[in-house]
Amino acid sequence: MKKDIVICRCEEITEREIISVIEQGYTSLNEIKRILRCGMGHCQGRSCMNIIARILSQKTGQPVSKIKFPTSRPPLKPLPIDILAKYKNE
Amino acid sequence: MKRTADVIVIGAGIIGAATGYYLAKKKLKVIVLEKNFPCAGSTGRCIGGIRQQYTHPLSINVMKESVKIFSTLHKEFNKDVEWFQGGYLFLAHSEDKKSTYLKAIEIQKGFDIPVQFISSDDCAKIINGLNTEDLLGGAYCPTDGQANPFAVTYGYLNGIKKLGGTLLNFTEVTKINVRNNQVQSVITNNGDELFTPIVLNATGPWAKNVSKLVDLNVPIEPERHESLVTEACERLFDPMLVDYRADGCYFIQNFGTGHFIGCYTPVPNDPGDNIKASSEFMTEMPRRMARLVPRLKGIKVIRQWAGSYEMTPDGNPIVDKTPIDGFYISAGMCGHGFMFGPALGKYMAEIIIDGKSSLALDDFALNRSFGKAEALK
Repeated sequence: MKKDIVICRCEEITEREIISVIEQGYTSLNEIKRILRCGMGHCQGRSCMNIIARILSQKTGQPVSKIKFPTSRPPLKPLPIDILAKYKNE
Repeated sequence: MKRTADVIVIGAGIIGAATGYYLAKKKLKVIVLEKNFPCAGSTGRCIGGIRQQYTHPLSINVMKESVKIFSTLHKEFNKDVEWFQGGYLFLAHSEDKKSTYLKAIEIQKGFDIPVQFISSDDCAKIINGLNTEDLLGGAYCPTDGQANPFAVTYGYLNGIKKLGGTLLNFTEVTKINVRNNQVQSVITNNGDELFTPIVLNATGPWAKNVSKLVDLNVPIEPERHESLVTEACERLFDPMLVDYRADGCYFIQNFGTGHFIGCYTPVPNDPGDNIKASSEFMTEMPRRMARLVPRLKGIKVIRQWAGSYEMTPDGNPIVDKTPIDGFYISAGMCGHGFMFGPALGKYMAEIIIDGKSSLALDDFALNRSFGKAEALK
């Protein structure tokens, strides 16, 4: 069924869950991220955040261009602790 | 329509949310004003640790009450808040630290906190893969723990709404009207005037600026603290590991998710409202983590951010009425707001309703001397 499509693959969040929190009144990506954890996994929202923005736009009528995205945070790509620690020593 | 409230709470972090909830439970009409979205300030940037290991008797009492409340929140909210009593372990790598912890334990035992100093071998039994080099042992309290700051804060805020209160996001207070030394109303950035006899300043790192709206000066200054989180992995250990060496750090494995989350206190401190992430932290924190638990070295860091500790001169919060009638403050949490929040919310609600709290908060008074600093900041 359409509603069971997984949108955030890292945290396994479905379209149904996302629509449910939007209907509860959480109409910013920052809040949806904090409540459901979507975009907080390995890909840091690179796979899902655009899709969630589109769902949010469809449900609320605000154009995607007006939707504020969560801050992108370092590192751009997950890096092992010992690699980062080695940078410090060099 | 003229909008009125019994209490206007400024700030939807843990302090505003918890206090607003306990006020709403006592049938007061509460409006919470949040200039951004809930948890956008310090609460949503903290790492979620909850401990009773303090040296100030009042902090220990407040935390005993908070732990009691945390353990019932899932029933109160009918929702899991990822509360887990995995303990806190303060590591002693020097005789000096050991004696600090032993003294602290003496104080804490007087309050029936089940804390004890354990050997370095016992530390290694609790922390799978701990590097025991130079380790003299640690102060361990198994009833300390962790919870999810978002789940707790949103739980309180949803409770306020269910009790008939209101949360207004993206609403900043630009002016507080005072007449004859009594709060009358607040003006928001939308130009709305909300009438209320009581305003609570629960704005964390912005508490000083918001107090200036009523010409009140409070000694609260933000400083930057940074954090990072790793990918999730199988459970390695339960307690928050605290290494208070000058180049130490503290981190914990999230009970709900399995991520390791941690931070350190920069030396020297980093005053100001800059909350940008630094490359210094991104390399230094992994070094410190891997030194403590070498087997973490292959785990990947996925995200780094920063937030503000809101510091007072003595490392203890300010929870009090003020010389302006109807203007209250609960801020200056010094990095402990999330864990103090539930108990201080309850006590502040009592102060607002009854004029005093069931636990005397004199040592968190606005006009105290700020002379005696907390040893376990």
